[in-house]
Amino acid sequence: MFQNLLNGLAIGSVYAIFALGYTLVFSILRVINFAHGAVFTVGAYLTYVLTGSSFGFNGLLRGQSLPFGLPFPVALLLGAVLAGLVGVVIERLAFAPLRRRGADTLLTLVSSLGVAVALVNILQYLVGAEPYRYPSTALGALPTAINFGSAAAPVPIRTVQIVIFAVSMVIVALLTYFIRGTRTGKALRAVSEDATTAQLLGIDTDRLILYSFFLSGFLGAVAGSLVGLSVSVAGPYFGLAFGLKGLAVIVLGGLGDIPGAVVAGLLIGLAEAFVPGQYVAYRDAVAFVVLFGVLLVRPQGLLGRAQVQKV
Amino acid sequence: MEALLGALNPYGFLIVSCVLAALLALSLYLPLMAGQLSLASPGFYAFGGYVAAVLSTRVFPPESGEPFSVGLLLAEMAVAGLLSALLAVLIGLPVLRLQGIYLALATIAFVEILRVLSLNLAITGGAVGIFGIPQPFGTQLSYLWVAGPLFVATCAFVYRLEKVRVGRAFTAIREDELAAASMGIVTTRSKLLAFTLGGSLAGIVGALAAHFINTWNARQGTFDASILYLAFVLIGGSRTWLGPVVGGLVLTAVPELLRGSAEVGALPAWLGDFLQDGRLIIFGVLLAVGCVFFPQGLITPELLARLSRGRGPRAEIAVEEAPPPAAVGSAPTGTGAGRDGP
Repeated sequence: MFQNLLNGLAIGSVYAIFALGYTLVFSILRVINFAHGAVFTVGAYLTYVLTGSSFGFNGLLRGQSLPFGLPFPVALLLGAVLAGLVGVVIERLAFAPLRRRGADTLLTLVSSLGVAVALVNILQYLVGAEPYRYPSTALGALPTAINFGSAAAPVPIRTVQIVIFAVSMVIVALLTYFIRGTRTGKALRAVSEDATTAQLLGIDTDRLILYSFFLSGFLGAVAGSLVGLSVSVAGPYFGLAFGLKGLAVIVLGGLGDIPGAVVAGLLIGLAEAFVPGQYVAYRDAVAFVVLFGVLLVRPQGLLGRAQVQKV
Repeated sequence: MEALLGALNPYGFLIVSCVLAALLALSLYLPLMAGQLSLASPGFYAFGGYVAAVLSTRVFPPESGEPFSVGLLLAEMAVAGLLSALLAVLIGLPVLRLQGIYLALATIAFVEILRVLSLNLAITGGAVGIFGIPQPFGTQLSYLWVAGPLFVATCAFVYRLEKVRVGRAFTAIREDELAAASMGIVTTRSKLLAFTLGGSLAGIVGALAAHFINTWNARQGTFDASILYLAFVLIGGSRTWLGPVVGGLVLTAVPELLRGSAEVGALPAWLGDFLQDGRLIIFGVLLAVGCVFFPQGLITPELLARLSRGRGPRAEIAVEEAPPPAAVGSAPTGTGAGRDGP
């Protein structure tokens, strides 16, 4: 019970920070960045290579590794920063040209899908499709499990889960402070409220869009590395599958709704963790049933208000 | 004729695959005609395939050693088409109230739910799937006897659909749903019809493909497939039926042909390797580049009009030149939309 709860919170908090990446970009551009799942994967691989681990036997980079290895927390941060820059490049290549032309948002969606497909397959071309595991020393001297019960009735919890939950919550707190408490965060909110007016008031919209893509890539990469730490980096495609679940999270939370994304991430994580044992094979369907149901019943999301479309 | 068939035989798999790809692109194009970006096609494709696979391996398997009857194959395709249409109505009624990105997301959820179900249900063979699906033909090229007529009939159907009242109502909804509704088009009914036609076609193709591929499992209908069909439609051109057809045929054939030309030494080996292993990289880049530089796709109604003006008599131009998109939804052409109707 307690184990389920903590497992659910751990995976749910990763869903939350991943979905925050989606939602940041959506709140500003009103477009879903389908390349987010690919950036998640890129981040996981960057962290892997920065820890000094070597690649397998299948890709173009077979057997290669960096001449140095960073400790896991540093690799995670640096990998996330690099993935953030990948996000910025994606913005410049796939979003900016269409935005300048005032193209249909569905077209932008498709071009981001194209970038996602290309990125994932470049990864596969470079490093092969096999799963990678982070070095077992990633968490340093921490024990692999902590007993939360008594010696007679042990309730072991994997330390990884606690670390993931803690790291995610710290990131959510920092992001909340950034958006609520800083000038840039205020400007971001202004742009998401009304981009034209914000621009008229002297806010550099273009620069803020770059910031949001950087942050989004950063968050995606942290989520990717944390999932990699908990299970493994299960090949280039694992981010796309995760990305689809992330869609369920942002829709449940309400598209573009930042607190909503956090609540929805935790809820879906918990819902998956509490799937009864005999139906465990259907666990992957939970997020999509939620996505389908929410779209039909409450498309504005959990915390949202219904919007009347003006004509 | 015999010699020609013999020469084509090694390419049987490729030729039939191209035709099936073009049909699947059309199945995505149909809802798009009415402006509905639905990614549900792979779901119906997988569903139709399972219908055919279950019927032919469990319900009426052929005597051992006997080939599967072509009549039964056609019957299976009809059943798969009908059941897919039914499923499409059931899914479409609630889902088509959603617009734009929300519809795309709901159809993604539908495809994924079907995939998880087919991975776990006993009747679909779980993760292994259904294999040893009986073969009605001796060679893969022979599947063209069924796929070819289906392809021609579908093209003729969609071509005609673009000219008649029902199809023009689709176009009107795509250009401006509100204006279409105010002209008296029952938008819900039109959207549901477009969605159902697409789903039914994907189901029929799935039934044929299940026999053609010989095994059927949960990898047949996935999100990747959605993207692939979407690439066919958008790169080919999403405003005339010829776009998805050309997109499906060409984008399936070109990678294989390039690979073949690398094998006989016309291209350097590393390039050949890249064209084979990096095919999806190229697709992804094409999709993104296409959106930026050719938002209309390669084949547009304007291009077709220009081509036909080059050779056809003057009288035909008036027919070929579609009214500019913006004018379709406006009042004066409203009566025009009904002109071709029954």
